[in-house]
This record gives sequence, C-alpha cells and structure tokens, in this order.
Amino acid sequence: MTERVTNLTQPRVTFCGDSALLLEAEGALSLETQQGIWNLSEEARGWPDVIDVQPGMNNLLVTLDPVRAEVEAYAERLLAAWLRIPRSRGLGRLIEIAVAYGGPGGQDLGDVASHHALSPQEIAALHAAPEYVVFAPGTGTGFGYLFGLDPRLFTPRRKVPVQRPVGGTVLLGGAQSNLGTKQRPGGPAMTTTGWYAIGQASDLPTPFDLACDPPNLLTLGDRIRFRVDRVEA
Amino acid sequence: MIEILETPPLNSVQDLGRLGFRCFGLMQSGAMDRLALAAANAMLGNDLDAAGIEVQLFPLTLRFNADGMIAVTGADCRPRLDGWELPPWWATPVSAGQTLTLSPPRSGMRSYLAVSGGLDVPMVLGSRSTQLREGFGGLDGRSLQAGDRLRNLDAARAVPRDAVGFGVAPSMEALPLSPPGASAATEVALRVIPAGEYEDFDAASQDIFWNTGWTVTAQSNRQGYRLQGVPLRRRREVEMRSHGIVPGVVQVPPSGQPILQLADGNSAGGYPKIGVIIDADLWRVAQAAPGRVLRFLRCTPAEAKHASRELSDYLSLVGNQARYLLRHRERAG
Repeated sequence: MTERVTNLTQPRVTFCGDSALLLEAEGALSLETQQGIWNLSEEARGWPDVIDVQPGMNNLLVTLDPVRAEVEAYAERLLAAWLRIPRSRGLGRLIEIAVAYGGPGGQDLGDVASHHALSPQEIAALHAAPEYVVFAPGTGTGFGYLFGLDPRLFTPRRKVPVQRPVGGTVLLGGAQSNLGTKQRPGGPAMTTTGWYAIGQASDLPTPFDLACDPPNLLTLGDRIRFRVDRVEA
Repeated sequence: MIEILETPPLNSVQDLGRLGFRCFGLMQSGAMDRLALAAANAMLGNDLDAAGIEVQLFPLTLRFNADGMIAVTGADCRPRLDGWELPPWWATPVSAGQTLTLSPPRSGMRSYLAVSGGLDVPMVLGSRSTQLREGFGGLDGRSLQAGDRLRNLDAARAVPRDAVGFGVAPSMEALPLSPPGASAATEVALRVIPAGEYEDFDAASQDIFWNTGWTVTAQSNRQGYRLQGVPLRRRREVEMRSHGIVPGVVQVPPSGQPILQLADGNSAGGYPKIGVIIDADLWRVAQAAPGRVLRFLRCTPAEAKHASRELSDYLSLVGNQARYLLRHRERAG
C-alpha cells in the first residue's frame, strides 16, 4: 500500500468545470485552517452569482451561475479572500456516541489492526481518545466529515470498494474517520465504500429530519466523542 | 390531472434541481437532461423549473383526468396520444380520458413530460425534485408506480393556435456538437475543462483521455456513469482530502476507469478529478445510453460560457415561439 498525504505549500484554486471552483488550503489538515474555511464559506455565500458553497476537509467548493459568473475572476477573488479571512471561530455542542468496535458492524477492525501492527483494543482506544469536530457536510445527509483522527490510525482507502452496512457504522479512510448515518426505513441496508468499517454506534440519534428546523442535528463545528462500549475481535 | 397506468421503476418527478443545500450533504437531484425539461416547460409557458416527469425506463402509460396541455421532449419516445403518434419535441392539448404511451426511444435515453402549470407536489427544500437516496421530494420521495395520481398547478388556459399543437427544434438538432473525425451516430462529444488533479496524470494518460473513446457501461444511472476505456494512470498516488464535487466531474479511482458523478451522485468525494464536463453539455450525458462512446474535447472557461449562452439563447427562442403560438390562439378566441 502506498500512503501519502499531500500538503500544499501554497493555497490553490482550481476549476471544477465552468461553474464551480475549489479552494484548497495550504499546510497540514488543521482545525484552525477549517475555521477560516467556515468563515470564507459564509462570506462567499453572499457574493453575487454564487449558487452554493460547500466546505470540505480544509477546502471549499463554490458553485456559480454558469451564464452570469466570470469563473476566472471569481478564482482570483476567492484566493484573495482566503488570504485575509480570519482563522478563528467558536465550536459548537458536544454529543457522545457509544461504539461497539469490531463484531458484525465493524468487520474490518482486524484488518486495520494488522495493518498498523496493533491490537483491536489499541485501535479502539486510539480511535475513541480524541474529540472529533464536524468539519464538513458528508456525501449525503448525516454526521458529516469529522476531523481529529490520530495520525497513527491513518489508513489508505481501498483500491477496490466493498459493500458495508448502513446504520451508525464507524469508518476509517485515509486521514479521516466518519460516522455513518442511520439506515432510513425502506432505504438501502448496504453502501459501497473504499473505507474500513471498524465499529458500529448503538443508540444513534437521527442526524437529519425534515420535520425539524434546522433539519440537521449537527452543524459545522459541533463535536463528537466516541465511547468504547465493547471491543469484539 | 394524470393517473399512471403502467410504469417500470425509476421514473420520477423532477424539476431543475435542489440548489443551495450542499450544507446538508445534498447533491442537486433534478432532471438529468435539464435542457429538455426546461424546453418542455418553455413550450407550455411554465416557469422553466416547473416539475415534470422524467422517464428513463419504458413503456410508460398514463391517462389524463382533465383537459390541459402537455409537452414531451428529450429522447424521442414515439409518444402516442390515444394511438396517434406525436412528433418529437411536441406540445399538444389533451382531453380528459385520453391515454398517452411513451415507448423505448430509438436513440437517446431520457424523455420528459411537462404539463401546463407544472406538477403539484410539495416543495421540499426549495424544489419538487425526487431525492431518491434520501427518500423525500417528488411524490412521497419515491419513483412513480401504477395507480399514482398527480395534479398540476393552476395554469393559464392557453391553447395552441393549431389544434394539433406545435413542435420546436429538438436540442440535438439545434445544438449539434460533433466529435472530430468520428461519427456522431456512435460517439457523443462532451466539452471538458481539466480539473485539479489533471497534471497528476502521466502524459500518456492525458493523451488517452482526450484522444480515445470512453464507453458508457451498464453500471450507469442517475447517480453516475462508470466508463470503460484504456486505464488512466497517475504519476504518484496520494490520499486526497474529501471535497465537494459537482455533476459532470470525471473522477478516476485506482482502477483507472473513470466515473462520472451526476444529478443524484455523491455531493463530496475523495477520488482525483481529471476534468469536469461543462454545464452546457450535461444534457448530452443524460442522453448517452449504455454502450455509447463518449469523446472528451478540451475546453476553456470562455468557450464554456459561450456554450452556456447558446443554451439560454435556445431556451429563449423556444419560449418566444411558444408565446407567439399560444398568444395567437388567445387573440383569435
């Protein structure tokens, strides 16, 4: 397995087609940088011809009106705004989630432990030690992309994706760890992923409910602490 | 106004998409061929983003329970109104009790049925589009089924000058785009702007990307298309940080076989992006059935903007034609 995490020495803005731009921040993945990303995302949402903004992991996607917006001029504006945007911001609420590591819901725990030459118990302890911060919206509704994974647990994504269960699955992929959303009644039980399933949350709160205002339980900057409920080898 | 009599799965209510909710991890959904739905709405004097039915599996048969007006666009699905075949991209009055059947298209992939006023389903997060993955929007967040009834919103009682209706130039004829040196009958040209990781691919792979064909595989749907061709290789492999992605992005997973993310795709991802198909050509992707071969043409943002203006000019023309034909009848009547 090759494993390398790129850190840019300078921020960059690249085209995502003719109606979107991706700003990628410089340096190692960090909370301070992400606080700047959140601030920039709020500012950019108000710019003319901006349709939407989406923070990623130390990056920001800005989508634009393809007919009216001058995408090249926006690239310069976005980079200039990034260089001056404040990099501080408060964090939000904390929720605690109990996790059964390993077992049927965390079937890849053994493989991850072997990869790192650690025991399943050590993987669980390292994973549950930090406080994770909701950095960015995820690939669908849910708990979003989390920051805080111990670098000792960085695990390259699979080359060939696999099917893993939906419903509170705790996943590792690259330098990130995520908490999978709840299974929706009538929705699919499995999902295709290149990430490793190391555990499953029991008693998971509903992360997205259109009957609530706002519909998302957690917002950017909220925090999650995982508690080791048990470890099954 | 409509009762569905027969439909395969995966036909759904769509408008032009749910824009502005990436904060919840939501991709835009909406019609795969937004141009065809917008044109159908323009023909009826609707707002361009009124909701209609996207038909991607055939046959679909429905009955009208009230008088009104409809337009059918997109892939030519040989629509038959009480057995009479309508020309492609046609708007026509319909009467209560009439039956419309849409059959598998000879070419193209997705057809659109718009009704005067647009379909009346609840607006959820600013859109009437069906979000199939999350199970909301459209009709109860699901695909259409036999027995479903759909109402339309109130519409002006405009009828066409000619009782049989009128047609407009299909997008494929009005906005041709030919792949260089190849047959448009077998290949679909798409303009692409190189994306963030383009330079990470070796020179041979960059050359292969622009100069060979990419077959749409059977693993292709509203979420995305998996393509088959000569595998693309990167100079070095790195773990990407997750980032927001847009419909039309050409991702290259480790297999080297590209994936296009589309209307119901993931809103974020971590695969390297070699390029992104321009907004003005996404409707062409929507009409590329499995087996078709895609050709990527390198494009600049300025050329893409020109293409977007051509699209809006075309829609304006369709709207102007329709306004004339509808207004004429009102004066006469």
